[in-house]
Amino acid sequence: MSGRVRIVVARRFLAGFLPVLLLASAIDRPACAADRFPLALKDDRGVIVRIAAPPRRVISLAPSLTEIVFLLGRDGSLVGVTRFCNVPAAASGLPKIGGVIDPDVERIVGLSPDLVLCTTDGNPRDKVRALEEMGIPCFAVAPQNLDAVFTAIERLGVLLGAADRGRAEAGALRRRALLAQPSSGDVGKPSALFVVSTVPIIAAGEGTFMDELVRLAGGRNAAARFSGRYPRLSVEGLVASRPDVIFVAGMSGVERFPPEVTRWKEVPAFRDGAVITLDGDLVTRPGPRLVTALELVSAALADWRARRPKASGGKR
Amino acid sequence: MTDGGKWSGAVFPVLAAALLGALALSAATGPVSISPRAAFDAIFRGTDDTPARVLLSLRLPRALLGALVGGALASSGVAFQALLRNPLADPYILGVSGGAAVGALTVALFLSADASPLLPLCAFAGAALSALAVFLLARRRSGVSPERLILMGVVVGAFLNAVIMLMVTLAPPGKIPGALYWLMGDLGLGTPRRVAVLFPYVALGTVLLYLLSRGLDLLLLGDHAAFQAGLSVERVKTAAYLTASLLAGSVVAVSGLIGFVGLIVPHGARVLVGSGHRRLLPAAFLLGGAFLVLSDTLARAASPAGELPVGAVTALAGAPFFLYLLRRNGGRS
Repeated sequence: MSGRVRIVVARRFLAGFLPVLLLASAIDRPACAADRFPLALKDDRGVIVRIAAPPRRVISLAPSLTEIVFLLGRDGSLVGVTRFCNVPAAASGLPKIGGVIDPDVERIVGLSPDLVLCTTDGNPRDKVRALEEMGIPCFAVAPQNLDAVFTAIERLGVLLGAADRGRAEAGALRRRALLAQPSSGDVGKPSALFVVSTVPIIAAGEGTFMDELVRLAGGRNAAARFSGRYPRLSVEGLVASRPDVIFVAGMSGVERFPPEVTRWKEVPAFRDGAVITLDGDLVTRPGPRLVTALELVSAALADWRARRPKASGGKR
Repeated sequence: MTDGGKWSGAVFPVLAAALLGALALSAATGPVSISPRAAFDAIFRGTDDTPARVLLSLRLPRALLGALVGGALASSGVAFQALLRNPLADPYILGVSGGAAVGALTVALFLSADASPLLPLCAFAGAALSALAVFLLARRRSGVSPERLILMGVVVGAFLNAVIMLMVTLAPPGKIPGALYWLMGDLGLGTPRRVAVLFPYVALGTVLLYLLSRGLDLLLLGDHAAFQAGLSVERVKTAAYLTASLLAGSVVAVSGLIGFVGLIVPHGARVLVGSGHRRLLPAAFLLGGAFLVLSDTLARAASPAGELPVGAVTALAGAPFFLYLLRRNGGRS
């Protein structure tokens, strides 16, 4: 009952939804988009990118983009990824072109890509510009919310010559996201805190994907009282905001709160043991697995609703 | 500058009152609202509700830690400025900061994440090792000269900086922020236990420095003059160096690297009480404590985006104040 930390393993949920994913890929029809090339598509920088034929040598400069290329079934065209691209497992075996903030321009050019997928949140602008000056088309994708992720999947589908597959995958993800949101009969808006670091306590504020996940799952973000995307909280700030549920995005390796923090039983999440660790990649990569994260967050908040009558009711 | 200063009699009561006022203000500031009545009950009647626990186990330890750390940094700064005969000396000038950083990063990056209680210990070990290395490298048969100490400190510091950059570059992403935040200087770790751990070091260090007051006074005249005045120069220098490093290292271990306090507070204290160490050391301790407690209160209260690292506030407030002092004194301090 006291300070028990529950760890929900993402894999269990993934296994549950694997049939859905398989079904979605079965719907996929043979690509008939080749006739749309050459195409000109405006990217998230507002740059119009022109592609003559379906790209055959693609390099991805972000783990989320690599995941989307695999989702679209176009992984056969991937010739380079970052050293952080580890999902799906097959991505780890592809040639590495450096990191997200330090892609190696020379190595990229050496792989003679006909398309580079990049993002404006992380990839340095001057490196992307250097690639463009060498005549390599660069398409930037920078979704800022869940809906924009689905749109990005559709647009990348068009760009990679898998438009139908893109539409089907995005549609399946949209349905899953809808299912994960609470129905009108679910009452109670738990306050939830998403932390990206436990020592020091750094929370996800407004404007982050984690904030959106909490809202979509029918909760209130306990960090909304602080401004800034990643406010740092004192222990007292945590006690004052009294979250009902705490999510830890495990990325720093420090995923547990020290005992001098968890002993504050004024915090309902500590009192009830409602501290849930999620894979950090799941909630920070603007890719298809954000939906999995939404399902996990939703399930935790549903747990809170189910538990509430027993626990003397909300005090706030 | 003569001993005494302008307001010689009233200076110490005023400084003590400033420190107490800063402590009270710090204890009254925070996101959980605590009425004066609740605070009174918590302290004198031993109530055990949330406001009482917030006051007694979060705010007061943090305020006291701030006072100890600020006082220790200022005292250490006074000693280094006398020892090196350099107004720009501060507790970190001789590689203490770099050593502490390497120690902290080693824990954060290469040991298991749950080993974070080891972090202060390793930071202290790193600080002590680099301080000792600088001292041994700078020593010659003829003794330790300030110029050689600074030179060796700069070289060792540069080397350690390179090690830090290498560690940060090679580290897995996401493992670094914890250590970096900690290095920026943070009093958020103030628990009653940490205050109790730090207290003996600070008490021992400040008392030792106080006992060295006369020696430090004479060092300001130069080695030769000090020797002629009957001082065993090398022994005083060694004792002052090791004591000041102990103070800086133990403080780094509990609060990370808080800059500027050790540099500017001694100058401020000199304006108030003159440069005789028997008065300067206690004045610097009180002033440093009050300054850091106020800075931390500001760091917690001023930012709507959660907490700021207190090291940022001390530098933001400290740099302009330092410039003001320099200009007021016509470039001499």
